[in-house]
Amino acid sequence: MMSVHRRSVLAGAVGLMAAPLGARAQAAKPRLTAISQWSAGSDGAAITALGKKFEERGGVWQHSPVPGFTTDMMNKLRAQIISGDPPACSQLKGPEIAAWSKIAPTVNLDATVAAAGYEKVVAPDLARLHKPGGKWSALPLQVYRTNTLFLSKRAMDKAKADKIPTTWAQFNELGEKMKAAGVPYPVANGGARADDGQKFEAVLAGISPSVYRKAIMELDDKALASPEVRAAFAQLRKIADWMDPNTAAQHFSVFLPRFVAGEMGMLIQGGWAQGVLLNGGFKLDDFIIAPGPTDNGKPVFVLNADAFIFWQRKEADLQAGQKLMAELVMMPEIQTMYSQITGSIPVRTDVNLSGAGWSAGQVEAARTLKEAVAINQSVLSLAHNMAQENGITAAMIDVLTEFVKNKAITPDQAVKRLGEAVASAR
Amino acid sequence: MRRAPELLVIWVPLLLAAAHIVVFTAWTVWISFTASTLMPVSEFVGLRNYTSVLATRNWKIAFDNLFIFGGGFVAFTMLTGLLLAILIDQRIRGENVLRSIFLYPMAVSFVVTGVVWSWLLNPGMGVQKLVNDLGWAGFRFDWIVDREMAIWTIVLAGVWQAAGFAMALLLAGLRSVEPDLIKAAQIDGAGPLRMYTRVILPTLWPIMVAVLVILLQMAITTFDLVRALTGGGPGIATQLPALVVYDFMFQRGQIGRGAAAAVLMLLTLLGVLVPHALFKYARRRRAANA
Repeated sequence: MMSVHRRSVLAGAVGLMAAPLGARAQAAKPRLTAISQWSAGSDGAAITALGKKFEERGGVWQHSPVPGFTTDMMNKLRAQIISGDPPACSQLKGPEIAAWSKIAPTVNLDATVAAAGYEKVVAPDLARLHKPGGKWSALPLQVYRTNTLFLSKRAMDKAKADKIPTTWAQFNELGEKMKAAGVPYPVANGGARADDGQKFEAVLAGISPSVYRKAIMELDDKALASPEVRAAFAQLRKIADWMDPNTAAQHFSVFLPRFVAGEMGMLIQGGWAQGVLLNGGFKLDDFIIAPGPTDNGKPVFVLNADAFIFWQRKEADLQAGQKLMAELVMMPEIQTMYSQITGSIPVRTDVNLSGAGWSAGQVEAARTLKEAVAINQSVLSLAHNMAQENGITAAMIDVLTEFVKNKAITPDQAVKRLGEAVASAR
Repeated sequence: MRRAPELLVIWVPLLLAAAHIVVFTAWTVWISFTASTLMPVSEFVGLRNYTSVLATRNWKIAFDNLFIFGGGFVAFTMLTGLLLAILIDQRIRGENVLRSIFLYPMAVSFVVTGVVWSWLLNPGMGVQKLVNDLGWAGFRFDWIVDREMAIWTIVLAGVWQAAGFAMALLLAGLRSVEPDLIKAAQIDGAGPLRMYTRVILPTLWPIMVAVLVILLQMAITTFDLVRALTGGGPGIATQLPALVVYDFMFQRGQIGRGAAAAVLMLLTLLGVLVPHALFKYARRRRAANA
């Protein structure tokens, strides 16, 4: 017994001595600890592919997905930061990047970003979100348009319509036409909170992108009470009247078969719905993808972007891993690979989308982004936490989702409530 | 010396438990007065968190719902439980089997209850569709998507879950009624209805108060049932205070406001528990004086 005991102690001691040696031997090898919510489907596939590229360049890829909402991932991130062990890199988006970089030190990526000449190929609003305090500490990975209009081919046929609506008036005309032709619900809806918010932002940005910028992104009190916001609520009421009331907090993917079958006519969703439709076994000619209606006739892009933020670590291998990861994320070929898997569009506005592997919808969205940025009509999504921090976003969405569900609330009351919600959440 | 182990056995766990409750409660109260958002910080802001929580529609709706849900849940659970207990108390055959069946929902998690009821209540696939398919095409049972009625679906599922529990406690109470009392009442010619209203139920009321308090604190802390059944919707029509606390703390990154909402919930709970404690104290005094 005694000898066994002594031998195990000896083995343990040797192991302890060997451990730092092993670590030192690996120090040259870049390593990355990362957390994100992407665990399954096309999101999971895309980040796995990114990990493979990281390993091909000699890195050690340690990704721990936290499935669920972004906020679930944030709770893990918070716990890791409190315990003094943040991941080298984590998913985070929008204004949360600035908020979180106040509670833990982040990596200054300025030199790496400058070396890649990245800043001039990123939309300015987007760049601003990723450099809190003027320093790059996070990098956007992919972009989605949230004001994308999907039209059901069968519902269009039923209504004998072939014109894609480009203004909200035409949208309403098509809705009436569909209703009259026996399409039970001209607008598709699942009843989830974010979906209600997304309909509102598509409407307001379509009515006036400049008011959207002032009211939603800058929380200007006068803009929040403006006639444009009131008009957006009135349009949202029209949309709500065309939705199936028999739904309770369903994910939008649940009703896609009914949409394709022509039971629901128009779907306002992010570009990701294309990937979900194709994944669900539907064909590209089952539906039409178009930009959301805009009343001023010029392209408007409501922008949603996923990003990585980099947390300061002392370990040399993690620092090397962060540099490698940052370089990878900025590369056009990596962004191409990623977007082709998820159905998004690349962050870089200089990526050529004429090659194979891009859908017509993606090509159109990328072109719209470029044009909208040029005329300052690209705005940040409210429903997807790009325009405001979570607290204010949630307070505003409360008002929007209640307005959609409660037909007794008038647009005037809604405008007042939206202002109150912003004031109390600030 | 003989007393030392006994003291250890009693006091160590007691102090640990008390420390957990008191320290964390005190910490939450402190945080509710600070400007904490993503992380706890110590900047004092006075009552700002409280005023802003009390001003949100979410909290107002949640608090109104607490009274509808709390009242409905407690009243219907008590009534159903009492009825079941009285029926089972008739010395019927298969009593053990029935008792197990009625008590069984208590063994199911609220999340499971919520999910199952959300399917049953969904007008597109649950009870309404079944009755429609049987031929009654005009039948409507769409409470879960109706803003006004949705809170009652939570009452319904909650009563289904807790009625068996109330039944078990009340049945034990019924069984402990002095047989002599019942015999005396029978000799005096009391019918079954009179027997219950005048003789048996009055002796049962201490147990009823206990059941009431347990059910009330269940109602106030309800979270998982709503989360699984309606997710607080349609819109924010079925918010409850516990959901609001969770929302502020873990979804909106506003820990200070979440803590303030939690303290408001604690005060509501105290509103139930303090009268109960006073009532028990008064009874004991009366018993001691008699």
